Amino acid sequence: MKKALVLLAAMAMAVTTFAVEVGKPAPDFTGTDINGKTVKLSDYQGKIVIIESYNSDCPFCHNHYATGAMQELQRDLAAKGVVWLVVDSVNTKNFSYRTPEQARKELVDQKITATAWIDDHSGAVGHLYDMKTTPHMFVIAADGTLAYDGAIDNRPSPSGDPRTAKNYVRAAVDELLAGKPVEISQTKPYGCAVHYAD
Amino acid sequence: MRRIGILICFCLAALTARAAHTHVQLLLSANPARPGDTIWAGVDMKMDAGWHTYWKNSGAAGLPTRIEWQLPPGVTAGEIQWPLPEKLPPAEVTTYGYENEVMLLVPLTLATNLNPGPLDLKANVSWLECEQQCVPGSTNVETTLNIGGETKTSADAATIESWKNKVPMPLPVGNSWSVSAWWENLASGDTRSLIIECFPVATLERMIIDKADFFPGASDNFEIQAATENLLGKTSGFRLRKLVKKFSGDWPKEISGVVVMESGGKQTGFEVKLPVSDQAPAVAPATVTSTTPTVSAPVLPAQSLWRMLLYAFIGGLILNLMPCVLPVIALKILGFVSEAGSSPRRIRALGLIYALGVLVSFLVLASVVISIKAAGHHAGWGMQFGSPIFIVCLTTLVTLVALNLFGVFEVTLGGRALDAAGGLASRHGMAGAFFNGVLATTLATPCTAPFLAPALGFAFAQDAGTIILIFSFVGLGLASPYILLSWNPAWLKFLPKPGAWMEKFKIAMGFPMLATVVWLFNVASSSYGKNVLWLGIFLVVAAFAAWIFGEFFQRGRSHKTAAAIVTLFLLVGGYAFALEKELDWRTAMPQTDTTGSLKESPDGIDWQRWSPEAVTQARADGKPVLVDFTADWCLTCQVNKKTSIEISSVRKKLKDLNAIALIGDYTHFPDAITAELNRYARAGVPLVLVYPKTPDTQPVVLPEVLTPNIVLNALDQAAQ
Repeated sequence: MKKALVLLAAMAMAVTTFAVEVGKPAPDFTGTDINGKTVKLSDYQGKIVIIESYNSDCPFCHNHYATGAMQELQRDLAAKGVVWLVVDSVNTKNFSYRTPEQARKELVDQKITATAWIDDHSGAVGHLYDMKTTPHMFVIAADGTLAYDGAIDNRPSPSGDPRTAKNYVRAAVDELLAGKPVEISQTKPYGCAVHYAD
Repeated sequence: MRRIGILICFCLAALTARAAHTHVQLLLSANPARPGDTIWAGVDMKMDAGWHTYWKNSGAAGLPTRIEWQLPPGVTAGEIQWPLPEKLPPAEVTTYGYENEVMLLVPLTLATNLNPGPLDLKANVSWLECEQQCVPGSTNVETTLNIGGETKTSADAATIESWKNKVPMPLPVGNSWSVSAWWENLASGDTRSLIIECFPVATLERMIIDKADFFPGASDNFEIQAATENLLGKTSGFRLRKLVKKFSGDWPKEISGVVVMESGGKQTGFEVKLPVSDQAPAVAPATVTSTTPTVSAPVLPAQSLWRMLLYAFIGGLILNLMPCVLPVIALKILGFVSEAGSSPRRIRALGLIYALGVLVSFLVLASVVISIKAAGHHAGWGMQFGSPIFIVCLTTLVTLVALNLFGVFEVTLGGRALDAAGGLASRHGMAGAFFNGVLATTLATPCTAPFLAPALGFAFAQDAGTIILIFSFVGLGLASPYILLSWNPAWLKFLPKPGAWMEKFKIAMGFPMLATVVWLFNVASSSYGKNVLWLGIFLVVAAFAAWIFGEFFQRGRSHKTAAAIVTLFLLVGGYAFALEKELDWRTAMPQTDTTGSLKESPDGIDWQRWSPEAVTQARADGKPVLVDFTADWCLTCQVNKKTSIEISSVRKKLKDLNAIALIGDYTHFPDAITAELNRYARAGVPLVLVYPKTPDTQPVVLPEVLTPNIVLNALDQAAQ
């Protein structure tokens, strides 16, 4: 019975919350980062914003960081004035949950270049953006519309060098900056399921 | 600090590719094996409690397991055969995978030129295992296969076999399930709802589907989401609503995946590849004439109910003209004539009583249908004619009605002997009128008429209330001409005045009844074969008894007791000897099917027996197909056949078009045909279908009453 209800709820959500749709305004949200600071998407209006659904215990994310490919992307985009928001929606009971203290340390250890790491253990932002996996990536254009939603690249693998793949996020940002339409604006995200709170 | 430690451990685990939670083994179905054989390799994965690995489409997250073979020359690995997976939570990120254990099966083909001796078979298996977190795993497995002069099943063969049984099979050709998919609506943004419908075509045993689902294959351009809504309740089929999210390109024109159904705790999966149409297919496909409306049973808007009620009424009205009811019409005519002089009130009352007889019979039929449906069986119009017991009783009854019309005996009601001018059915007492209504309904049931067929087809798929409603309206339609006539006795003036001619007319009307007996006798012969002779002998004995009873008991002056005893003796003796001993009437076996051509005459149509497989085969050969669902007791069918099917022009057309003619015999009510009738929203025969020669197009449903032109035109269209 409970399962059925959850399924119905998921169904209802699937129908009603297509708030996240490429070409439409990206829904605004307010979150708290690991330093206790309030982060609001609308604060970054006028800038390209990347949202990364994050869990470094997930082998897919892990591989992007272990190979340094993700940090490289973050640095490159930061240099172009792009905002990068890490969203960690892992629930507090999960093995992969990071307390703000652990997260601050991981941010440094992993050499993550991000505007903010949002502690989303309630799953509010994750659900709002219908984040399925880690990593699930979103690119929001300077005008606030969602320009890309999906996988980080075309190489769903927990090992090997991600630099050999076509990185959809990098491509989307380059196209936005060049004033061109985003050619690949939607893909199926791959990775581990986001460990949402029940 | 602890986190970092774990992270390091995890990295080490990943680097050494040592699976912490999944144990992998390589098994073979045969060892040794002969060159040229194909054997099965089973990659057995045992997961720790709580951990799972993934199916070929991992779903919203996860990663399918991969096998990379390192095989010696001459050994070729086929594709992985994946056992049916489970849907794994959480609902918002549903994945498809396996818990506890799975065996991935791979066919290994051995070249014919392999030399005898041991061969090392190696594979690298890599997977993602998840619980609270995910860990990639990878391991090398190997085993030795001995090539020898014979193939011997190994100790693991049974285990491999049991996993093979869990691999979804493709729907067999001439399958017993009809699966289709269509978009429910136009796209709104990136999501669109998809309907997948599955109905049994010819399952011999009706299977109630408790649960159904569709596990999609993986696709880069779109995702069929995991959530499933079953739009039908627990019934023999299902209709699923799935949401499809499009990532790029056009909306898919075809989807593939596994249809999963659970019935009685048993789960079955079928591999399917479905074209997706832009709109729902009509359940009743295109018709040549408009007598069959499109019925999207069983979910129907209320306005269609009204249309169906109208059809039911018109159908009942037309039923009066169908060959099965004609003998009763004769009786009705006689009834009106004999009552022409009576008071209008009496005529009205009789009209109403007749209608009541019809209605009550229809309500009885409706309740029988409802209870049969409640018991989980197929119900169909005229199904009682599939029962030999019913046929024997009805044959006897109609014989007695004929004898009664001939004046051989009278029927006494309430202990008062009625005068010699009337019998039970022709006598227009209240009871007679009621009996007439019952008889009309009973004889009407083996017929369907225009309008009636769609209404009944609709009714049989509905709830009890709707069944009762529709059946009542058919009854009202059947009775309405008599109610109208009895309400306007002025119209009866056109009928001749009552007189001595009536006695002659009554006797004349006995002959249509005899004709009915012959027809019923013929139906009975399909159940009893040559033994039907004993039914004939019983009828003669019963007729003799009726004469003794009428002549010496009812009209005689003395020895009445003796006459009664002789009557009783004849009936009991005739029953015991002819029906019980010789005919064994209650355990009649339907005649076994003959195979091959069912030609009725040397130059007749080359009928083949109908089966879904036969249809599929003929269509695969690119031939048009004519299907005649018929029954011995279906008079409309017999009339159609004589006037419009088994005629020289149609024979020639079938030959010219190189068409296949299939006959489906519904006499004994086989479930396969009931299911097929239901598919076309019909509850009974006749049903004549013409399949175009182009595969995948819907057949044309011919109307209930045929003319040669309807058949010829339909065949011409089918050949185009």
